[in-house]
Amino acid sequence: MPTIKINGRDLEYEPGETVIQVAHRNGIDVAHYCYHPSMSPEGNCRICMVEVEGWPKPVVSCKQLCGENMAVQTESELAQSARAGTMEMLLVNHPLDCPICDQAGECHLQEYSYELGHGESRSTTPKTHLPKNVPFGEEIVYDAERCIKCTLCVRFCNEITKTGELAMANRSDNEQVVMTSKGEFTTNYSMNIVDLCPVGALTSRDFRFKSRLWFMDFTPSLCTGCARGCNVTIGGRGGRFMRMEPRENQDVNQWWMCDPGRLGYGHVNSETRLATPAVRDANGQWQPATFEQAIVAASAALKDARESHDVLLDGGATLEELEAARALASAMGGQARFAAATGDDADEFLIVNEKGANAKGAEMLGLERQADAAPAAVLVVERDGNVPAALRDGAGAVVAFVTDATNVPDSVRVAFPYGSWAERSGLLVNVDGRVQELRAARQVGPGNLSPAFALMEELTGELDGNHVPRDRGELVAAVKNEKAFAEVAFPAGVAAGQTVGAGS
Amino acid sequence: MAKKRYPETKILSKNFDKENSWTFDVARENGAYTMFEKALKEMTPDQVIEEVKTSRLRGRGGAGFPTGVKWSFVPKDVDKPKYLALNADESEPGTFKDRWLMELDPHMVLEGCLICAYATGLSTIYIYVRGEYPLSQERLWGAIREAEEKGFLGENIQGSGFSCNAYVHTGAGAYICGEETGLLESLEGKRGHPRIKPPFPAVEGAFGCPTVINNVETLAHVPWIIEHGGEAFAKQGIAPDPDNPRSNGSTGTKLFGVSGDIKTPGCWEFEFGITVKELLYDYAGGPLDGREIKAVIPGGLSMPVLTADELDVPMGFDDLVKVGSGLGTACAIVMDDTCCMVEASENIAHFFADESCGQCTPCREGCHWMEKIFKKFNANQGTRSDLDLLEGLFVNIEGRTICALADAAVWPLRSIIRKFRHEFVAKMTPEEQAAEKEAQAEKARETAGVS
Repeated sequence: MPTIKINGRDLEYEPGETVIQVAHRNGIDVAHYCYHPSMSPEGNCRICMVEVEGWPKPVVSCKQLCGENMAVQTESELAQSARAGTMEMLLVNHPLDCPICDQAGECHLQEYSYELGHGESRSTTPKTHLPKNVPFGEEIVYDAERCIKCTLCVRFCNEITKTGELAMANRSDNEQVVMTSKGEFTTNYSMNIVDLCPVGALTSRDFRFKSRLWFMDFTPSLCTGCARGCNVTIGGRGGRFMRMEPRENQDVNQWWMCDPGRLGYGHVNSETRLATPAVRDANGQWQPATFEQAIVAASAALKDARESHDVLLDGGATLEELEAARALASAMGGQARFAAATGDDADEFLIVNEKGANAKGAEMLGLERQADAAPAAVLVVERDGNVPAALRDGAGAVVAFVTDATNVPDSVRVAFPYGSWAERSGLLVNVDGRVQELRAARQVGPGNLSPAFALMEELTGELDGNHVPRDRGELVAAVKNEKAFAEVAFPAGVAAGQTVGAGS
Repeated sequence: MAKKRYPETKILSKNFDKENSWTFDVARENGAYTMFEKALKEMTPDQVIEEVKTSRLRGRGGAGFPTGVKWSFVPKDVDKPKYLALNADESEPGTFKDRWLMELDPHMVLEGCLICAYATGLSTIYIYVRGEYPLSQERLWGAIREAEEKGFLGENIQGSGFSCNAYVHTGAGAYICGEETGLLESLEGKRGHPRIKPPFPAVEGAFGCPTVINNVETLAHVPWIIEHGGEAFAKQGIAPDPDNPRSNGSTGTKLFGVSGDIKTPGCWEFEFGITVKELLYDYAGGPLDGREIKAVIPGGLSMPVLTADELDVPMGFDDLVKVGSGLGTACAIVMDDTCCMVEASENIAHFFADESCGQCTPCREGCHWMEKIFKKFNANQGTRSDLDLLEGLFVNIEGRTICALADAAVWPLRSIIRKFRHEFVAKMTPEEQAAEKEAQAEKARETAGVS
């Protein structure tokens, strides 16, 4: 393979690769704004300029193809001064309103300003003013003054979604992004431009002004809005789900996620979340209980149950929960089933019709999919979509694991709080059969939740004296032993006895 | 004895004075399309390219790239269509030479295009005319229709088997669309945002296909080169510097324009070699009565200024570079002693700020920033550090962008603030003027002390 010299290191490249690609692959940091590996390079921001030895002018590394005998310097005096000069230009009309900007803390303008910027502004003339607070569709707000005109958002709509809602308008420092459509996005992926925006020019109406980033906790996890299993990062603060952003995974969602998935967390922050176990007293009134009391009451209720010995689970339940539910059903002499919604909104990008985030996993474990109301003794419900009221209330269940107190059917005698997907750790199998790890997000949800799989294991132990409750690792090991999972790769780090990503 | 006037040589402009010179009949009477016929029937495409290379014809749009060399970059065996994009955007301020050609001799322009098309094996000619030139558009369309009727455009031209069509594409009035890759984007129906080169248009131009981009005047020279041979053309004008193997000289004739503070603005054709002074005084009539020429930008707006003392230089590609300026479009803009150079600077900066396409950060933000600083001077609020800041901005703007618009903004402005610093000082605040005076005195004392 041919080689190029970058900062004195001989590095191999594939013909057609750009300098920035080779530099990044080899851990050499080259500042960039307008470059994104998914899109055609434009070379407009000029921050990635590097020096090629013997060449009179610095070149943009995002567009410069590697060549044999090329010697690139990313930190030479010329490269540094070119970058610093660009930084100064980027900031001369920038409002510098970091204290009220949502991007502050994850802003590349701040990042490189810290590194390259002048301590004092050399500008003695007034700034150019541009439109602010411009709605782009219902979910996005544009600030043309903060915008550095990198055109990533425009290119995203042209090259990734191919829907072309955005364009650049005007010239010179009046240039700004405008909507070409009637103020609406036709794509379900518009909010990715908020993540793409290297500065605070595009903000999410859902998240803006909600929290400073540095007071939030971020956890890598998954979206469970459909069975694609997009990799995400969940940001939480003080028990509230604050926002969710896609996390790169080339095999699943590349860098993206859909808007409905991103915004589908309303039930996590519900005011009526069930936060502690509850048991119905002799008068049929709900009384709060400890987990120990609830387990005792639940096993008694299940022993009394006559109508059904089945367990009905939400299609978003983890493999660990499904495995524990199978054991519980078996101890009662019944079977475990699941229910999951099916949409008609699949596209050729990420959204799939299967809404059960782990429906594939449930099927692989041999669980039957339930479409119509049928009796069950135990209910596990997170999303109304997956387990609609008809199935939920029609089961006549006596024990329920529910996320929201309003989802407890009248027949239930013991209710356990069930974490939303953002608060649970476990394994999910996506629509393509890929096993991925859901991780409980820090600082999200009511807290103090015992994992549902552990509670179910305890219940099984109560019902079947021979059953020794298994921990998460043992449950995973049991799943791995299933024939359907024989050839399936599991994420590293989920080994026997190891509890990963427990919520705090 | 009065000095002999530098003679005019009318090659491109030979038909300018003729009645209805833009019609086919008049043009044909004067030999239009005979050299295209000659090329078609007697020469191979390679021979045409060789002849143009021999002539050392350099692009007349401003950059001065050797035309024959440019043509030879066009790949011969490709499955894609190839295009000629004739750059008739002529948006450089003070420049109107191509307009004369298009309005007064469109058939000569078209003949040059056809010879180029034959030489590079392409069959589609797009003439990108700036939106503000309605007469040029009309006359070019007229010429195209006439040439089609007479069998010089279309299928199987003159039974040669060679086919070619031509179209006029109207620009919408953006300076940047005269930049060749901005022109291509605009031609494709997009925003006029210049492209990063490589790939060069000869390999990947309009619609991703090999494209020749030449200036109007450049191609108008080609019929004469075919008629008289490249050698004859190369003998005209300024020969290449024998000591510099890379020099291409400034061969042939050129249309030179003059505008601004001058008695008789206009456009004349000479062999290269006429000095700026001869052009201004012998042809353009010199300064208005009672005035003095203060500064001249020799070609358009995008070149460094010459002061009144620097005008004894030949209008040639290399000759003007030697004195720190450049030929540009060879249409000089004259500023006399009534012109305030600070106001002129603001005007120049305003033009480039307004026309910056907005793509690259240094130009998008920097051009307007410079304009604001000049405004500050014109409000008598300037400081010495503002001049230092301008020098700093020039460094951060020049050579840091995709196209040369930013360079074009820097060059005249930098030369003006260096050559006319005293005018800027005169517009500073009183304190700053005093400080400048003190600094100059200090400098003088140091110099005296050293010597």
